[in-house]
Amino acid sequence: MNAVGIKPLPGFATLRDGYLPGNAKARSVLRITAADGLQQAVRVDVNATGNGKAKLDTLKPNGSPLGSILANGFTSNGKNQSPLSRIGNSTNIKWHECSIDKIDRQNLLNQKGCVIWITGLSGSGKSTVACHLSKILTQMGKLTYILDGDNLRHGLNSDLSFKAEDRAENIRRVGEVAKLFSDAGVICIACLISPYRRDREACRKILPNGDFIEVFMDVPLGVCESRDPKGLYKLARAGKIKGFTGIDDPYEPPVNCEITLKCDNGIYASPSAMAEKVICYLEYNGYLQA
Amino acid sequence: MVALQGTRPFVSGYRPEFGYGPLQSSKLVFARFSVGNNAVKNLGLCRGGDVRLRSSRIIIKAMEESATFLTKDCSVISGKDLQMMLGNEKSTNIVWHKSSVDKIDRQELLQQKGCVIWITGLSGSGKSTLACALSRCLHSRGKLTYILDGDNVRHGLNRDLGFKAEDRAENIRRIGEVAKLFADAGVICIASLISPYRKDRDGCRALLPDGDFIEVFMDMPLQVCEARDPKGLYKFARAGKIKGFTGIDDPYEPPLNCEIVLKQKGDNCASPCNMAETVIRYLEEKGYLRA
Repeated sequence: MNAVGIKPLPGFATLRDGYLPGNAKARSVLRITAADGLQQAVRVDVNATGNGKAKLDTLKPNGSPLGSILANGFTSNGKNQSPLSRIGNSTNIKWHECSIDKIDRQNLLNQKGCVIWITGLSGSGKSTVACHLSKILTQMGKLTYILDGDNLRHGLNSDLSFKAEDRAENIRRVGEVAKLFSDAGVICIACLISPYRRDREACRKILPNGDFIEVFMDVPLGVCESRDPKGLYKLARAGKIKGFTGIDDPYEPPVNCEITLKCDNGIYASPSAMAEKVICYLEYNGYLQA
Repeated sequence: MVALQGTRPFVSGYRPEFGYGPLQSSKLVFARFSVGNNAVKNLGLCRGGDVRLRSSRIIIKAMEESATFLTKDCSVISGKDLQMMLGNEKSTNIVWHKSSVDKIDRQELLQQKGCVIWITGLSGSGKSTLACALSRCLHSRGKLTYILDGDNVRHGLNRDLGFKAEDRAENIRRIGEVAKLFADAGVICIASLISPYRKDRDGCRALLPDGDFIEVFMDMPLQVCEARDPKGLYKFARAGKIKGFTGIDDPYEPPLNCEIVLKQKGDNCASPCNMAETVIRYLEEKGYLRA
């Protein structure tokens, strides 16, 4: 596995382009962000001549190693020895580090970037809650941006249909873009049906722990259908749309999401009240400060 | 008479028919205005009576469910009925420009205007270096930037794409669309990628409002780039180990009409910081470094 994008843990040596600084400790632990977003600890053993070999350890939650995979070795002769990597179909690409990173941006914005992923049936109120959330956070001086599934299908995802594989690709791309926004320090609100658990989990995996906040709009099909804000349920029932989520395509509710927004004894909270619930979560978990 | 109190002044050129007075600041209200000879339009007010009226477009802001609708003759329509009315409104005069208002809010929050700085040039011409220098300089002025580096994006969003012509085009299209989203979010988005074909770059330009796509051409001679060869790719390409490498056996089409050209002067190349300052001066002149 190639190491791409190396970020040192606070207090540890900085690795730049595979070259160890002269005062590198004999053993350092660095966190490597692998291409697919997983983070693992890398133990670097430096010998007397200053050459180093990086050993990749996957850590258990308590910090003890799970197993180890040998990563590429590197030398510290001062030249750029960092290997070019191959990711997916892209060959000969190299990760470019820049001195302004997420922490700098978060300090500038006085918030932490994250992704609020609002999932639920059509008509459950995802876009409505997203708008209210965005409005309130903006009034609080926080920078947010909404990635609405429908809007994105007009631009970035205009080449995708509603076949199963295209739905998966739609969600993958939205997840990757949301990750970029979160890295930029923005509180990114993604609202799309995203009916399949596997696709949502794949998005969760590409973000650092905790930065993917899944919000489930737990509204019964009957209520969504009676709202039918875009007239789609009517068309689906008439057979004019095939594979419509909730009618003839499944919706898999989250089993372990951060926030569930549901009705209370038949009474639905207002969109603002729902938004406030999300904001409390953000506040409690430190996202509304740097 | 509808009672309004704006916290900000109306844009000049309009004279609403209603006077000013205290507003129940906890509610969102709507007022109906006759604007010039145009058909009656709706104007939205947010809490605290902040009124926004821009040119010939009326912006309707998100409303509370308890919003009341005050007509010219002061009859009151509840929020629910209002939604139904708007839903039935066939007139194209009423347009939900929610995004315009949000974009303005973000610009005011960030004290800058979002845009895309598209840095194009051969491999090794210094695009990523300039992008970093630009980002650092702007950050030190309190501006929010984000770099979309061609290589980095190929680690994530574009990991499914190779280097065939159609994949290059798709790579650029997707980055253009993402850059557009960042610009809409108010971020100064710096895209740095070879992007060798004019048609693809122009395609991205067309996605953005006029002026928001700022093309920067790193005009470095091939020999200079090859001498640098920071990733060892020219060496591979000359040895025939990479096919279709831009500059060697694939063309680079320089921009014909870009906003900024950064070139080598004689034997000397300006430092990345000096080049960054050139771009920053442009941004300043065009008003991107203020709301």
